[in-house]
Amino acid sequence: MKQNKSVWLGMFLLVGLLLAIGVSRSGSVQTQQDRIDSITSHLACPTCSGESVFVSRAAAAQAIRTEVARQVGAGTRTDDEIVSYIEQRFGGQVLLVPRATGLDSLVWSLPVAALIMSLWFLVRAFSRSRQNKPTAPSAQDEKLVEQALAESMTKLKRS
Amino acid sequence: MLASAGVAGTIGRALLLVGFVGAVFGAFAAITGVRNNEPRVIRLVSRFAVLAFAAAVGAFAVMEYAMITRDFSLAYVQKVGSWSTPPLYNFAAVWSALEGSILMWVLILSGYTLAVCFWMRKRMNESLAAWAMAVMMIVLAFFFLVSFFPANPFAAGAPGVLDGPGPNPLLQNHILVMFHPPILYLGYVGVTVPFAFVIAALVTGRVGEGWLLATRRWSLFAWGFLTFGIALGSWWSYEVLGWSGVWAWDPVENASLLPWITGTAYIHSVLVQERRGMLRVWNISLLVATFSLTILGTFLTRSGVLNSVHAFSESGIGAWFLSFFAVVLIVSVFLIGWRGDKLRSPGIIDSPLSREAAFLANNVLFAVFAFIVLLGTVFPLIIEALQNRQIAVGAPFFDRLTVPIGIALLTLMSIAPVLPWRKASAETLQTRLFWPAWCGIAALVASLALGAYGLAPLLTFTLGGVSSGAALRQVVLATRRQGLRGLVGRANGGMIVHLGVIMIAVALGASNSYSKSQELSLVTGTPAFFAGHSFELIDVIEVRDDRSISVKARVIVDRKKTYEPAITKYTRIGMNVGTPSVKASLTSDIYLTLEPPVRQDSGKARIKVFIKPMITWLWIGTGLMALGTVLAAFPGRRRRPTEATSALVPTSEQNAL
Repeated sequence: MKQNKSVWLGMFLLVGLLLAIGVSRSGSVQTQQDRIDSITSHLACPTCSGESVFVSRAAAAQAIRTEVARQVGAGTRTDDEIVSYIEQRFGGQVLLVPRATGLDSLVWSLPVAALIMSLWFLVRAFSRSRQNKPTAPSAQDEKLVEQALAESMTKLKRS
Repeated sequence: MLASAGVAGTIGRALLLVGFVGAVFGAFAAITGVRNNEPRVIRLVSRFAVLAFAAAVGAFAVMEYAMITRDFSLAYVQKVGSWSTPPLYNFAAVWSALEGSILMWVLILSGYTLAVCFWMRKRMNESLAAWAMAVMMIVLAFFFLVSFFPANPFAAGAPGVLDGPGPNPLLQNHILVMFHPPILYLGYVGVTVPFAFVIAALVTGRVGEGWLLATRRWSLFAWGFLTFGIALGSWWSYEVLGWSGVWAWDPVENASLLPWITGTAYIHSVLVQERRGMLRVWNISLLVATFSLTILGTFLTRSGVLNSVHAFSESGIGAWFLSFFAVVLIVSVFLIGWRGDKLRSPGIIDSPLSREAAFLANNVLFAVFAFIVLLGTVFPLIIEALQNRQIAVGAPFFDRLTVPIGIALLTLMSIAPVLPWRKASAETLQTRLFWPAWCGIAALVASLALGAYGLAPLLTFTLGGVSSGAALRQVVLATRRQGLRGLVGRANGGMIVHLGVIMIAVALGASNSYSKSQELSLVTGTPAFFAGHSFELIDVIEVRDDRSISVKARVIVDRKKTYEPAITKYTRIGMNVGTPSVKASLTSDIYLTLEPPVRQDSGKARIKVFIKPMITWLWIGTGLMALGTVLAAFPGRRRRPTEATSALVPTSEQNAL
């Protein structure tokens, strides 16, 4: 048993170590196009609500894609700066990700609240299960068990 | 009014009315028959089911006939019909807009109603079956009514129209339009069957496990088709839409995903009720939620309150669906409250380390998952109602919140299949998880060796390894014991579904994290290179037919095969549609799109290249899920309730013998 435990400990350590290696190493170099794709997938297509500029094939989305590509090509602005530039330039609601301020922040906080509530529910269900000691069997139950035992005993003896 | 719609319109609409009357009378016959215990009245139910089905088939056939003969006296044919649409797409044009898709709903629902009626024909005098039939008939009557009034496909069109634009170009350039909508609807509409039995169980007070065992296969059937339909939709999106993705978190996609999530929760938690008699209210609520989410989803996407690529034009249908949704919810909640005392479950959960506890945790995760998707989908509506401004909630939101849920579900999938019912000891767990754990480590080492990085994808691959180990363990043990019979039945088929899900999770993890893209300006004769592949333009050609002009760039990839990404202009609609061209392989797809503007014979073309790893495994995983669902529907070896599950403990008396 003790040996078993150390094997598992070793496994967890190994996984932790390997994960750390994997997380710390950087991925392949991001191409300009990857950057354009990532920025445009955070922008809403103005004429086709529900789709991102990256996804949409509409003309308006095409125009924004071209503008983002130009900005990325110029290489002077960061991703966030490009997004706010596009927001100024094209106006309206261009962000596809709700902000974390005001009423909009509810879309972020409600799921977290739901998760916490459901975890609390789980913990309560489990802890209640532990307090619930099995009640003593009724006379009827005991009779049933005796009967079943006797039956299987006779079967066992016959075989 | 009726006469002006021409012969087809009049017949079609009359058939809808006949179907509605049949469904109403059927419901009436079922309820009065069973209340007054009159077998003669109850026998009428199946006749009315046949009548309603025949009317629906008739109405659908009239619509097809009108579409095939291009009967432009109908407004609907004017909207989606055209002489230039090829026959196959013209056949599918019937369900390419709102009215026709509701008609298809009516057809499928009447088919389900007849099937349930046939299946229950010997038990129709039982109150549970009769009430279930009544509920199905009432839902069917509602859809006949919707098709008759707000979504009337047989309305008369403007006079003098001789040709139309045809269906949306996206619905006439890929063969999947024939399969994705009907299959998805088979799942979406099929949810009505278990829902009808739930309501029947509540009304009759037979809330034990009877209704649940009765509808087990129906739920699985609907769930399987929903899964398959959603997957076909992703495939379609990948092959047609040209942004290289399989899932856009579009409101209509979410509307089909929501019942899938609650349905998946249900087919897991139902096992706890069958086995331990627990979670009764929860299972009923899940089915009610699944059904009402199909109605809510239809409201959200078909009423025009939300826009999406799938949304059809606005119509008065919103109020109908919203009212129906409210009625379903109020009736269900009232019935659950009314039967509350009978629904109290006898069992309790003995230990957090048990299969029932794992199922409970699974359900909690799925509930949070469904909440996130629902919240994200309706949040723009809430903000618009409260503050009168427009916001968008898109893919980045859903990705960020659902990836942790997915990883948590994978963790559960790693542990739960090896857990016994009631209570597990740490030792059992250690023994049973030993090999799965090594599978996980092997997966991690392999993915690191292949150059993987980042926490979320690496966790996905590791847990994918553990969970496939856990799933394989069950299948291997079962086949070792029972041969090929170890592949059928719920537990074994379910593990094959799990293997499919794991493939999909790993494929999504890899393709979402490690995709690369590059735009290439190609000139004839000069190859360009990206990510170790060569791309050489041969020429740019133009292909014309009745309905469209296509410009294709012919590109040789890696000096081997030619691929032809295209942009097609549908002249009647004036819409450009890009058609990607994909070089698929087991390790990674090369996805090519042609970027506008492009001119024929110019010798130049801008193409966008996406390198998408492991996409093919999404489709393989889907196939495996479908296979597993079929296997799960076959009866497996069941333990008889009286059979001893463990050896007799020798007593002193026996020892004495």
